[in-house]
Amino acid sequence: MSLLFNIVISVVLYVCFTSLNMDDVARTLLQRTLRKIPTRKLEETIKKWSHLSRRQQQSLNYTQSKWILLQKLVSFCEDNELTVRHVSELEMIYCMENPNLGTWKACHLTDAEDDATSLDLMCFKEQFKSHLAELTRNVSIKIKKHENETIWIRIAWGENFIKPNHLKPTYVVHDLQTPYVFICNLSSKNKPLLYQTLVLATKHGSIKDAHLSGRNLHAVRDLLMGNYHQTFPTNHQRPLEEMSPPPTHPNIENEHKEHAEKRQQVACEAFGEGKVPKLETATYTLETRFRGGGSIDTLVDGEKPFRTVVQFASTSLLESLHHCVSSGIADAPVSPLLSSITQKGRNYFVITDKADR
Amino acid sequence: MDVRSAVSTPVTQYTTHRRSKSYGRTFDATSRFCYTPGQLTITRIQTSRETAKARKITDKVDPEQVALLVKKEWKLSYVTPLYQFRHTKLKVYSRHLSAFIMAEKQQGMAVEVGLEAGFKVTFSTVLGMAETKDDAETVFIQIHNKPVFASEGDAPKVVWSGWLTCINGDPEYLQALPPEFVSLPLFCSSGAESLTFLVKSWFERTFDCSFGSMGLDPTDLHWLAALWTGCHSENNIRSLKLVWTLPSQPPLDVSLTVNAQDAWDLWDKVRQQDSTDNSISIEEVKRFITGIESHFFRHFKVYLSAGVLKKVSTALGSVHLDGKIKITCSDYMTTVLTLLTECAILKMPILPGC
Amino acid sequence: MKLRTKMLKPFRKVPVLNAANVLLVENEEHLHSRLADIIVQNEKDVNITVRLARKLPLPVENQDSRPRIDLVVFIVNLMSERSVQSAEQSVRYLDSGFFLGKVCFLVTGARCLSVSSTRLLTVRKMASSLHCPLLFAEDQTSEGVIAAAVRLLGILKVAAGLVPFATGLSLNSVTHCILPSDLEQNLDSPTC
Repeated sequence: MSLLFNIVISVVLYVCFTSLNMDDVARTLLQRTLRKIPTRKLEETIKKWSHLSRRQQQSLNYTQSKWILLQKLVSFCEDNELTVRHVSELEMIYCMENPNLGTWKACHLTDAEDDATSLDLMCFKEQFKSHLAELTRNVSIKIKKHENETIWIRIAWGENFIKPNHLKPTYVVHDLQTPYVFICNLSSKNKPLLYQTLVLATKHGSIKDAHLSGRNLHAVRDLLMGNYHQTFPTNHQRPLEEMSPPPTHPNIENEHKEHAEKRQQVACEAFGEGKVPKLETATYTLETRFRGGGSIDTLVDGEKPFRTVVQFASTSLLESLHHCVSSGIADAPVSPLLSSITQKGRNYFVITDKADR
Repeated sequence: MDVRSAVSTPVTQYTTHRRSKSYGRTFDATSRFCYTPGQLTITRIQTSRETAKARKITDKVDPEQVALLVKKEWKLSYVTPLYQFRHTKLKVYSRHLSAFIMAEKQQGMAVEVGLEAGFKVTFSTVLGMAETKDDAETVFIQIHNKPVFASEGDAPKVVWSGWLTCINGDPEYLQALPPEFVSLPLFCSSGAESLTFLVKSWFERTFDCSFGSMGLDPTDLHWLAALWTGCHSENNIRSLKLVWTLPSQPPLDVSLTVNAQDAWDLWDKVRQQDSTDNSISIEEVKRFITGIESHFFRHFKVYLSAGVLKKVSTALGSVHLDGKIKITCSDYMTTVLTLLTECAILKMPILPGC
Repeated sequence: MKLRTKMLKPFRKVPVLNAANVLLVENEEHLHSRLADIIVQNEKDVNITVRLARKLPLPVENQDSRPRIDLVVFIVNLMSERSVQSAEQSVRYLDSGFFLGKVCFLVTGARCLSVSSTRLLTVRKMASSLHCPLLFAEDQTSEGVIAAAVRLLGILKVAAGLVPFATGLSLNSVTHCILPSDLEQNLDSPTC
């Protein structure tokens, strides 16, 4: 009964603001979205969107200044009487092509039901929409399929008598038949709603934080699924020239050549090589007893943990760490805390001393 | 050629350099060498300091003025002594600097902008900041701007502020100055870089002084980290955050945030080893920082000493190696400014004949 | 006993005619191979070999292939505390015979004094207590690197006995680092 009521309300509201000719929300969203898209990507994105007529598209001159171009695009959209739903589609298209505009958090679905693997897109779509509508009113959901089995979900959240906020949507990316979900821009208030919906729609028992986040969706996904080139300790047959350039002159000899090669090897084993996933940060919450070395150790209460939070940050964390090891800034063998990033596919850790103390 | 030879010749001709007068506190042979073009100067650096003690600075100084100095990030510079600067002539200076800024801003402008729509400068003295009789009173400068198209009722906005100060300046240095000079060695500025430049050039022309950027030494950051941590028993520091940058490719930033109580406990233990109550020695500071660094090394096997400590921050304030400071809690202002005044005097080139 | 086998000795090997060998020790490995290239390319008359190392002691397994070392150069980057620490530790593995004109320190990064003034002092103390020359190099420009390489080559030739009427010891006695006398008297006994 309440479900029916919800649907009626949403429909009423939906009708309310689709009947307006390009309302303020749509205009603001359009302008914001267009401003986000760089000029060189604009033509391609507009083409994909396909809400402008062929003639309108042809009359656009992409060499003009962006400001003039935007004015023109907005007026076309007004003419076509496009609504928030159309405009949000544009945003979604751009976001799917460029998924690096926010921080993606990975979640792990567990306790799969027997029929979870046979779930298809249509079924998921239906389930997801109905479950979320049951939990909250006034949400605007858009689901699109992208490449193979990847599902993109855009959710604009609203409240009882508040229209969905299209300016701060949540994006959810899920590959069917995998236990991972990637979420961008989710407020803690809506977190339980989305989690519950995901668990029900994907036919799983529960969902938990995978302790991995990053700005680059592909990197986060590759790291979690181990889809990148990593050297394993057994792989010894790499040509040595590749790793360190040979000395330019026969009279120059490096005393630590073997050490350098060893370090290089160790770095590759721990952090991969070539194009590694672009991760920005790794955070460790240390709750271990103080180990400062020397005379201080004896002074500090050995039972009490020394609480610190350590964060490593770089434009490409794995590359930086790789370089640290190969150049000797970090000692080899690599600390298990650092190599866990690639081995466990995580970048948030809580470290405590072993319980045997 | 001159510069190159100064840098690459072996250091064997150190007999002709000048040295500043020694400080009247505790030192060892540890000295700081400062090159100025063509010559070498040596000044002593401090090896012990008093602990930071909370002092209600607002009892001595107008709280409104103190409020202007805290919670803002200041870019630091040193200033050589000002020739014929008078605290009594601040009104005149305000007028002159306003006119100077207007004149400079109008250069190359086709249309003359009315004076009423321009910049207005106010100089004021922050009475009570000085600690000793040798310290000159702090001077605070604000630049207000009224946008050209602002309506009648709009109040002018503060677009730039800065101050010159001297807290616990080395008495021997200050007393040795000829009487027509006033030394306010520490210059803090906040606002548009172009205005800072104009203010500096006006000072340089008017008082025959010179400004220089004041980067800090990692040791200065260590001092502040220890001094602030020591305050935790009286004033919650929330956490002690240290940020290093390691020279890997791409550069790696490592930030280490220590729980306030644990940082204080460690500092307290380090202090108990050999401490006379209210003085801290550089050895204690080094032991404290090294302890934290080795704790990190035991976990990550990364040598922080290969990089540079860039930033230290607590709830009481933050300091950046590039010479930026933010004082959040005014109670410990004197301690921090004493340290910075000392740095400013050390950074200053010592001219022949001073 | 263990330390003794790790020590680098100056006279263990027989010198070779018309040859000079230099060991460049640098923890960061930024500069030493660039210097090495210039040193070997700049010299046509003498057979020069350059050994590169991050730190001392050198690996024992290279002992047989390693020629007699005529000059040891410690390259210290003042921008990094670790570079200074590494040099301090490495110096201990040199036999005292080296300090008679076969060691010198090359410092880079001295321009950014705000970061490095205390480290420069540490290196100066070390160089003067060991009676070694202290050279400054500009590593940011190729001219600077060439100039540094040429200076090292000059010292190397003297140290290897290839310059008539000059010995490493005599050159050392006029070029070694001295601290101003008023600092020296307060100086603690040499730590290295």
